[in-house]
Amino acid sequence: MPQAAERKALERSLKKLNENTITLAELSEIAIRKAVYGLDRLDPGVADDVFILDQEIYALQVEIEKTCVDLLALHAPVARDLRTITTCLKITTDLDRIGRYAKDIAELVLQFHAKEPNPAGTLGKIPRMAEVAVDLVDRATRAFVERDAESVRHIEEDDDAVDLLHDEIFQEIVAQMKAGALDIEVGARYILVTRYLERIADHAVNIGQRVVYMVTGDLAPRVRAAERAKGRPPARDGGPRGSTGDNHRGTDK
Amino acid sequence: MLRSLVKRAAPKAVVPEPEVLQVPPPLTLVDVEDPAIESRNLSVWYARKHAIREVNLKIQRKGITAIIGPSGCGKSTYLRAINRMNDTIRNCRTTGQLLVESEDVYGPNVDPVLLRRKVGLIFQKPNPFPKTVYRNVAFGIQLHYRATKEELDRVVEAALRQANLWDEVKDRLDDSALGLSGGQQQRLCIARALAIHPEMLLMDEPCSALDPVATAKIEDLMFELKKVMTIVIVTHNMQQAARIADHTAFLYLGKLVEYNVTRELFERPTQELTENYITGRFG
Repeated sequence: MPQAAERKALERSLKKLNENTITLAELSEIAIRKAVYGLDRLDPGVADDVFILDQEIYALQVEIEKTCVDLLALHAPVARDLRTITTCLKITTDLDRIGRYAKDIAELVLQFHAKEPNPAGTLGKIPRMAEVAVDLVDRATRAFVERDAESVRHIEEDDDAVDLLHDEIFQEIVAQMKAGALDIEVGARYILVTRYLERIADHAVNIGQRVVYMVTGDLAPRVRAAERAKGRPPARDGGPRGSTGDNHRGTDK
Repeated sequence: MLRSLVKRAAPKAVVPEPEVLQVPPPLTLVDVEDPAIESRNLSVWYARKHAIREVNLKIQRKGITAIIGPSGCGKSTYLRAINRMNDTIRNCRTTGQLLVESEDVYGPNVDPVLLRRKVGLIFQKPNPFPKTVYRNVAFGIQLHYRATKEELDRVVEAALRQANLWDEVKDRLDDSALGLSGGQQQRLCIARALAIHPEMLLMDEPCSALDPVATAKIEDLMFELKKVMTIVIVTHNMQQAARIADHTAFLYLGKLVEYNVTRELFERPTQELTENYITGRFG
């Protein structure tokens, strides 16, 4: 059991860890919002902002990781303290990946700009998918800030909406490319965008589940996306339902 | 004179113990089916001080159970109640049941000496006798059994080997035990206890006076011993409890607060009091 002075030192470090993690969450959310904004308007000017944010996110992630290792090595934390530190250690990776996907989307926006695609028509579901994915990130990070486990206890069920949109958009893009209505290169990039958004939502779910663990000690059972997809209505043309995001709680590919 | 009589005759105010009321009902989250030791509503008083308050606890056979809690919470009292070491304290009174191998050790036909042969106790501070290393280990055997020199040699060596001390003292058996290091002295005390083949070992902060290397040796020894005997350890060292114990009980103000598998208790304690204690918020 730490003595009073040690407890104070631990609390100082925990406070710093919490502040840094909240900052990281804010930066990641800003990055993805900016990337989606750029995608929506095909505005290449946003990309530079996202690239800078990605660098800041990475630097902060490294700092948080170091703080966590120091805390574990120096204070041998237990109970809530231990859960907070391991949660921060885990979700920094998720937040960093969200920032990285934001950067990937921003890079695609630059390429879209060069090809001047027409994102109207059936591709109109992509902004909707982006909105749902960003909302999941927002909910998960807010739950972390407010230590609110209940708001994210079933967050993986909301992620299914993103997975469903992903499947539907995939089918639409493939159909348009088959019909010659969409340039193959542009279509492939849109598929990448939806893939990134789907992964962002997965990382939001990871964060939400970690918040539940941090607050309550309950670790959510691992349910594969394919298993949950069995309960969903089938996508048109028998598309790759459940084939994406198969490792729901896994790391990036 | 009159004033002093009046003062003496005045009714004593009944002062409630508010802190006791803050202790939540005990929460036992581990189910021990075949306990080696079990206390049922065990209470221990030192005169009017209620040191242990109706503690119900089942201790796993051939496992290590840690008892943690702040100073004065009754950890050592509970431990000493198991082999009736509290009998030696004046005004100490025990109620409830304490079953060792299903027999109430406070029953009418229990011989405390035989009980202590079955249930050894290791103290916080190593307490070897001011005799040779050999005599320290042989002492207990000679107290309880008649043995030839050869038998004695054999048992002493076996006990010292079991305590992982033989290699360090085999050439110093006739030297004074007081010349050994603190860690060696503690292992000698464990060897002394092991020599009479106890079924259970009670350890009252056995490593609190030892450095990390000596502590590691005692902990290694405990891992070996738990294969053949039941160990109950009182410790102030949270990391030690987390490292070695299968189950951990948290006592506060003489009451059992929480009893669970060690990993669970340290990772996600159920009671807020437990959480606050193990994270150092009080104690």
